[in-house]
Amino acid sequence: MSGSARSSFRLPRIPAVPLAVLVGVVLGALLVLVSGGDPVAAYREILIGALAPANWPNTLNWAVPLVGMTLVAAIPLRGGMVNLGGDGQLVVGGLVAALVPLYLPGPGPLLTIVAIIAAMIAAGLYASIAAWGETRFGIPMLISSLLLSYPAIGVASYIVGFPLRDTTTGLAQTVMIPDAARLPTISGPLNVGLILMMIVAIAVVFYDRRTVGGYELRMRGLNAKFAGYGGVSLGPQTVRIMFASGAIAGLVGAIIVLGSQYRFQDGALLSPGYTWSGLMAALLAGGEPLGATGAGLFFAALQTGGFAMQRETAIPRVLTMVLQAIIILFLAIRHGVGRRAS
Amino acid sequence: MATVELEAIGIVKRYGPLVANDHIDLSVLRGEVHAVMGENGAGKSTLMSILYGMQPPDEGSIILRGAEMHYRSALDAIGAGMGMVHQAFKLFNSLSVWENVVYGMEPTRAGLIDRKKAAADVAALAARYRLLVDPNAIVGKLSVGVRQRVEILKALYRDARVLILDEPTAVLTPQERDGLFDVIRNLTADDRTILFVTHKLHEVMAITDRVTVLRDGRVVERMVTKETSAREIIRAMTGRAVNLKVEKGPSQPGAVVLAARGLTVGADGGKPVVDHVDLDVRAGEIVGIAGVAGNGQTELIEALTGLRIPDSGTVTLRGKPVTALDVERHRDAGLAYIPEDRATTGTALPASAADNLAMGFQRHAPLSRSGLLDGKAITAHARDLIARFGVKIGSEKLPVKTLSGGNLQKIVVARELSHTAPLLIAEQPTRGVDVGAIEFIHGQLVAERDKGRAVLLVSAELTEIMALADRILVMFDGRILAEVPAAEATEETLGLLMAGRVAEAA
Repeated sequence: MSGSARSSFRLPRIPAVPLAVLVGVVLGALLVLVSGGDPVAAYREILIGALAPANWPNTLNWAVPLVGMTLVAAIPLRGGMVNLGGDGQLVVGGLVAALVPLYLPGPGPLLTIVAIIAAMIAAGLYASIAAWGETRFGIPMLISSLLLSYPAIGVASYIVGFPLRDTTTGLAQTVMIPDAARLPTISGPLNVGLILMMIVAIAVVFYDRRTVGGYELRMRGLNAKFAGYGGVSLGPQTVRIMFASGAIAGLVGAIIVLGSQYRFQDGALLSPGYTWSGLMAALLAGGEPLGATGAGLFFAALQTGGFAMQRETAIPRVLTMVLQAIIILFLAIRHGVGRRAS
Repeated sequence: MATVELEAIGIVKRYGPLVANDHIDLSVLRGEVHAVMGENGAGKSTLMSILYGMQPPDEGSIILRGAEMHYRSALDAIGAGMGMVHQAFKLFNSLSVWENVVYGMEPTRAGLIDRKKAAADVAALAARYRLLVDPNAIVGKLSVGVRQRVEILKALYRDARVLILDEPTAVLTPQERDGLFDVIRNLTADDRTILFVTHKLHEVMAITDRVTVLRDGRVVERMVTKETSAREIIRAMTGRAVNLKVEKGPSQPGAVVLAARGLTVGADGGKPVVDHVDLDVRAGEIVGIAGVAGNGQTELIEALTGLRIPDSGTVTLRGKPVTALDVERHRDAGLAYIPEDRATTGTALPASAADNLAMGFQRHAPLSRSGLLDGKAITAHARDLIARFGVKIGSEKLPVKTLSGGNLQKIVVARELSHTAPLLIAEQPTRGVDVGAIEFIHGQLVAERDKGRAVLLVSAELTEIMALADRILVMFDGRILAEVPAAEATEETLGLLMAGRVAEAA
């Protein structure tokens, strides 16, 4: 604001996000150079691996859970709240989605639908516990949502490790879900989960821009005291928003289990780190759902490209995670990502 | 007296397209009390922050005792003998008075703070200017008036020759204000110079020697206080004559709209902040709550509006018990509320004017239908209110953080008055608002009363309470000390009651 009158020289104004990406790419290239690799080859492989038409299905398949977990983080963030419990909610959803078709009778497609709905409700309720703890007892959701992940992960691990274990394999996992209850595939690795996630993303953007609830959530994010004073009951809103956020995490878990893994395997939902990539993407866009979806897609492309780079060159795919982190850090330095309006 | 102490020549400060200071010349004589007056957004704060080194001017120069100054920060200005008491005190509440005063330039002995010397120095300084303060008292336990003395001591300890007082009386009782004026006289007797920034005309008339009036970033008038009048100064500030008296007929109180019985807040931590308050507000009357800020008014209003659930007692709104209900339910029962702090409570600063004006209307037609917002209706609603209340804003899509204090307050007032709720609670509705906007807001409050609304007005500004209220309740230390009919109220009795001195007021 206080631009000095004397300084006539100014750097050309590059919008924050492209600039951060540029800085990340340059620093990443230096990193590759220092470790004796060829940065041009590395970036070429990332680009081809992510964006060559033949690889689109892979990128999209990776994007479905990542964008899903981005929305999980973005929805509460829009209202100035943080849900760090994506991992736990993902596991609750995944486990429920596996157990419904395995242990309930009924025709396959119906079981799929019931499994998805049950997974969403279970994960949504699980996320609501943190909201309830904050509104009822004042336990900060930032902490409780994260801590609640551990019992969920632990209990799920026990269930598939002991009572409901597939004893024909050596791993802690359930038996395979019957073919009839799996999500129909579209082509290659892509399944109906892609369409479900597109619907969810559109619905979230619509909610944010065109509904009363979206308005109230945005106002809360800009000034929670103002929203409360204006007649928005913050407690019930917290519970509703966390339920929605958790339900989407549950959907992500269900899509992975019913659409690609066909069973619940201990740790398999968490090892790709969707929750944390999603959280970063949501932070990148300040919780604005359309921007967050874009950032989620970008990270998905980056990570998919990373796999290709690791296959084709000697450079480990950790580089793409480093890029991701640099971009976020740089944005945080320049523009205070996630800083509350004062 | 005739030596020039501080001079600002051709000060220009721009913020983007806005010219906050437009070639301002200011000349302050040694040992005088010089008032800088102007409406909000006239450029007073900008000018003071430049004189105090907090920001550099784009053009122009500052001459202090004949030497041109180039401040890099406020530290340079302090080193050159400038001092400033900000409106919001900058003190460590958990430390003692002397620790606050010497902070940053502690007398040391062998590398350790020489506590004895520090306390003695502060005591001597306080005695010299008759600033009654106990150097060993903990600042957080002192009253606001005493804290202000600590701020003044801080500046004097750094040997400030020129002291800027920014709205110094906003938080004081009339008696504390008179104490401050005594201190100011002691300071000028010692040839120190005071720059007095204020909105309050009678104080300017009472204590200052000369007045510089700013309007729209320019100096419009320089006056010698003795040779001018309050009316003249207002005319200079606003460019027109303002009616300070509020035209209103007698009230016609109807049914009780808001009733509180035995309302108590904060009893858990020992002494309650709000202590068994009973009050009624009827339709068609304005009830004023007078009191020095910090005597429980904020908490009382929070309890009445649902922002805070009282520890005991009851609140009924139009006969409906609402004690333990949240703001949403209070608003449904018929509450409109202009909060004390427009920037932290009354608005979302980064949000657009349209979004800010829609709050509270978003759930009903025409702004929404079955949960879906109607963007056109929201725009129309915002444009209508902006026009009706004369908010100066380029477009309803602009964020309200770009607005001046008075215009931001108009956003809040416009929104709350357009709720046709039977109860209106107005908390400090004109704090930090310029004279033109005060007149407008006062007129609106009386108009609402005459339409049969019940109005509860909380203000630290006695003139405001006395001009508007039909009945005045004085709040002190969490309790309602007295009820005074407006006709019988004088500034003196109210002032004594506000200081808790019931016997003397009677």
